Amino acid sequence: MTTLTVAAPRKRRKPRPWLAMAAVLVIGVFAFGPVYWLIVTALTPSGDAFRFPPRLWPRTVTLEHFANLADNPVLGRYLVNSLIVSSLTAVLTVLVSAYTAYSFSKFRYRGRRSLMSLILASQMFPQALLLITLYLLFSAFGLLNSYLALVLSFTTFTLPLCVWMLKGFFDTIPDELLEAAKVDGAGQGSVIHRILLPVSLPGLVATGLFAFIRGWNDFIFALTLAGPDKQTLPPGLVNTYLGEFQAAWPDLMAASLVVSLPVVGGFVILQRYLVAGLVSGAVKG
Amino acid sequence: MTLISSPPEVRDVAKSPRQGRHLSDKTFGFLLTLPAVVLFSAIVLYPLIGSLTTSLFQQSLVIPGRSFVGLDNFRQVLDDQFWPVLRNTLVFTVFSTACPFILGFALALALNTRLPGRAVLRGVFLFPWVIPGVVVSFAWLWIFNANYGLLNGVLVQLGLIDAPVSWLGDPTTAMAAIIVAKTWASFPWIMVMLLAGLQTVPATLHEAAAMDGAGTLRRFWHITLPHLRGIIGIVVLLEVIWNFQHFDMIYVLTGGGPAGATTTFAVAVYETAFKGFDLGRAGALGALWLLLLLVLVVGYVRLAEREEKR
Repeated sequence: MTTLTVAAPRKRRKPRPWLAMAAVLVIGVFAFGPVYWLIVTALTPSGDAFRFPPRLWPRTVTLEHFANLADNPVLGRYLVNSLIVSSLTAVLTVLVSAYTAYSFSKFRYRGRRSLMSLILASQMFPQALLLITLYLLFSAFGLLNSYLALVLSFTTFTLPLCVWMLKGFFDTIPDELLEAAKVDGAGQGSVIHRILLPVSLPGLVATGLFAFIRGWNDFIFALTLAGPDKQTLPPGLVNTYLGEFQAAWPDLMAASLVVSLPVVGGFVILQRYLVAGLVSGAVKG
Repeated sequence: MTLISSPPEVRDVAKSPRQGRHLSDKTFGFLLTLPAVVLFSAIVLYPLIGSLTTSLFQQSLVIPGRSFVGLDNFRQVLDDQFWPVLRNTLVFTVFSTACPFILGFALALALNTRLPGRAVLRGVFLFPWVIPGVVVSFAWLWIFNANYGLLNGVLVQLGLIDAPVSWLGDPTTAMAAIIVAKTWASFPWIMVMLLAGLQTVPATLHEAAAMDGAGTLRRFWHITLPHLRGIIGIVVLLEVIWNFQHFDMIYVLTGGGPAGATTTFAVAVYETAFKGFDLGRAGALGALWLLLLLVLVVGYVRLAEREEKR
């Protein structure tokens, strides 16, 4: 009797990966089909790209579209703008969120939970609505069409998740380490700058990269607050390629690949932290 | 149970320097948040309040000055803009949450089995989610292209349609096309979140239930789902909140067209303020939008707090 009940579930529990494999395959086609098509189009000569029905497998491969990008001075400016704005956003985000996360992680004071909720909720206020006043505000201070306006507004939207990512990191640093330094006579400032920050360098880098990616991807703030010469790549590409009467699709696909490259690279580096940060950022209030 | 309790005087001596610092510790801890608080007040809170008060004024982006008009903007907005925009936003939100949720859940379940290379697959599948929203839009614009698009090409060759369809140019298909693109962009995130939840389901529970003869479906229904309830609630609510205010892809794919068929709140507010220059109306529309959104956000914060306590 006992042998029977033990034996039966053994058989039942045998992994049946067929259904799982089929699901992965079908979803995989959906997930990577568009990426494949983007790459193929970017490598297809213009004559071949505009034919119907399209060829799923390119007969000839060309790099002319990437060369076209290099020849376009406007795109170069957008690229430089994107690099500057995203880097500054990353630096400011790490600075501000490190202090905030340290406070949330190691200090207990009244209103702490409300502050945490406020910062978490702030990323849920619609950007389009904030922009109405933000535009007037930056305009009044002469900050429209400046890097500063973009960096400041990007940072508020990178902060919530970055604060949570760093808080998770700081939570793992033993209090004793910081207490010991205090007992040795270190002031509050040097506890942060000499001990906390150096110890959590990997977390700071991950947070910075994440902020960089968010800044790099932003569309609506840059579209509205930056003029043509401070425009970043996402709105810049929309204006350059979709504003025209006829879109140069292969060129646009090549540009899309170039824009995605730093983000994908950064993602590969910080994947481990990112996933953990995402989960804890969403779950912890 | 404390085995050795230290004499009271010793404990006092040990604590006294700490207690002296205790108050300043609290103040210092709060001061650390000041940069963030200032930034939020300037970039989020003040603009939020400002935009809401704008709704009571007749104000243009191009003409300086403003005049108080009371609830006139709200009356106008409710008369001719609000309801179709609400309908579009709801359709977009419901389907752009449900479709990627089903897909993401299916993939999470699949990757939670003993599939070879599932750790790598989990990372690889996150790929569409990382790509910048504007690039995602470009890729799908090209796939949906009426003349040379991949979708039309495949469907014509399979004999499913006779002639190419203008997916984004037709009011009946434009919203569906946007939802497909949005589903592509967001199912990976849902997959990651649910997979993280699935990995916390104790295997012993499943084994015990299997011993009692429960099949895969029953175990899914009675063990997996109840266990994931918290994380599912959070994922769905966050997706609903994000989709309710989504802008990028809708704006790039259709710009709210054709004939307003895909104009959601985000697009309508943006267009009214920055194309129509009518800040008062944009503010009124935005206030109504925010009111609906706030219900969702409060629900989310409650849920997140309860989840953390568990």
